[in-house]
Amino acid sequence: MIKGKCWVADDYVMAYDIIIQEYWTSPIDAEENSKWVMAGVKEEFNKENGFKDQGFTFIVAAHNFAGGGKSIEHVITGLMGAGIQAVFATSFARLQFRNAINYGLPFVTCDGIADGCSTGDELEYYPDEGEIRNITNGTVFKTVPAAPFIAEVGKAGGLMNYVRDKIAKGEPIE
Amino acid sequence: MGMTITEKIMARNSGREHVVPGELVWTDINTVMTMDYLGKTCFDKFRQLGKTEVFDKDRVICVSDHLVPPPNQKFATMLNEWREVVKNHDITHFYDLGRQGIAHQIMVEQGHVLPGTISIGTDSHANTYGAVGAVGYAIGVTDAAVAMATGKAWFRVPSSVKFHITGQWQPWVMAKDLSLHIMGMMHWNGHLIYKTLEFTGPAIQSLDMAGRMTLCNMTVDLGAKNGIVAPDKITQRYLDGVAKGDWDMIASDEDAEYEAVYEININDLAPTVALPDKLDDTVPVEKVIGTKFNKAFVGTCTNGRLEDLAIMAEILEDQQIHRDVNMIVVPASQTVYLDALKAGYLETLVKAGAAIDTPSCAACAGIHTGVAGDGDIVLSAGNRNMKGRMGSKNAQIYLTSPAVVAASAIRGEITDPRVAS
Ligand code: SF4
Repeated sequence: MIKGKCWVADDYVMAYDIIIQEYWTSPIDAEENSKWVMAGVKEEFNKENGFKDQGFTFIVAAHNFAGGGKSIEHVITGLMGAGIQAVFATSFARLQFRNAINYGLPFVTCDGIADGCSTGDELEYYPDEGEIRNITNGTVFKTVPAAPFIAEVGKAGGLMNYVRDKIAKGEPIE
Repeated sequence: MGMTITEKIMARNSGREHVVPGELVWTDINTVMTMDYLGKTCFDKFRQLGKTEVFDKDRVICVSDHLVPPPNQKFATMLNEWREVVKNHDITHFYDLGRQGIAHQIMVEQGHVLPGTISIGTDSHANTYGAVGAVGYAIGVTDAAVAMATGKAWFRVPSSVKFHITGQWQPWVMAKDLSLHIMGMMHWNGHLIYKTLEFTGPAIQSLDMAGRMTLCNMTVDLGAKNGIVAPDKITQRYLDGVAKGDWDMIASDEDAEYEAVYEININDLAPTVALPDKLDDTVPVEKVIGTKFNKAFVGTCTNGRLEDLAIMAEILEDQQIHRDVNMIVVPASQTVYLDALKAGYLETLVKAGAAIDTPSCAACAGIHTGVAGDGDIVLSAGNRNMKGRMGSKNAQIYLTSPAVVAASAIRGEITDPRVAS
């Protein structure tokens, strides 16, 4: 179980606002990327560690979280570096959904969750049960189950570890 | 039950008879593309997987496009590191400054993508490869590293949406107009997230490869996973002599299943413009006629091809670009540059008062070569117009076709090329 405070995003939080243009060519590094993560999303986050210092554990969103067709992985490492342990949304943009799986950061699909949470609410996430409990207001949400492969990659700590193990053991990738 | 062309390609390359949307599969990768600003990270990650040699030196394609020629020391240093890492891995196809072009253009024009196969690139517009009947997916550096090591990548099989396009292409109306029209109709990142968009119908069969590339290129901006046009005679002619490998005429089955089918007749399609900040805020050109602008930009992986420069040259022949407009034209590759030079298009454009720059992404991503400053109003034939995309957040970007940009540049205000010519 993971427990912590959530930040509720608006619809259509774009990848290029999560990591603004200035940092697209920076190295992919959780610590570095987290300093300015979300800088383009809200004025209050547009300062060093602006988002990170809020101490959120979860992000709750409605549609198309991290959209806009940007493939940079800084978005995911930035969120992870800022202490985010899972993102719950009605839908995710494809490229960042994929990056999140590859880094083992749970991007969990959960219909209607944005309407049932406010920024600052205390949540508990039970990955095995597929359940999110909002402790502040007492509501419970069921998540959409993910393919077993995604859980396997998550367990390995991301695609890099998953593939490295397979290569080292000489196992086929299929 | 039949399969769509995309499903067939996913099945074929994952060693299965049949796949259905939603399934997760590991597929063989024909080619992996990476470029200057992310490429070094790909190679670093690739080595972290315990490998020193890529799965196939001929099938990892390296391109310098975003940062060339380097506008500052930071990028010059990044490019040096990039060159070194490509050299160290003895990569066969390295399109560095002098042989460069925008990666997606290079991938198609140099025959690195083939019908019926899957190619991936560490840039969002890898969808462009669908123009030749390939599946082209944008991926991140982790996926690229894994593919460089193993020749494989994992995918979820997307469901297919068909756009059946009928009617005749009217004078001065281009594939870009159809793209922008679909953008306005479907809404940006709306119902097409994760989908594969298949373009069919007589108006597609009569569309040249440049137009097909434009159309497939912008499917990512609709939130789709990829776009595809089944190979036909035009594809065959295009690939003859450039294709690096064998391929066949793959097509969707008659009884393939689509999540939705949209019919569009282009007989009445007008030159189309996306208003600043939002891609799906599109209007027929007549709604914005007379809008003044001070910068014009034609290039990018969307509209920097020979056919685009040809239509501009036709419009700008013996004309002068308005004194209040700065126009920058950037051919999508050295090949396009040379062809346009030989055909005389560049001479026409230079005489009209356009500045030609060396092939690269240029100002498209706001990194260099003609970036936008405060108060600029840019009329661009690129693909993205969100705030700050080309530089200043206080600039406005209108997106449209090369024909509209050329016709408008003469008057210094948005003009309908059908009326002006
Ligand atoms: S031309 Fe623009 S959209 Fe195309 S790859 Fe370069 S930066 Fe990206």
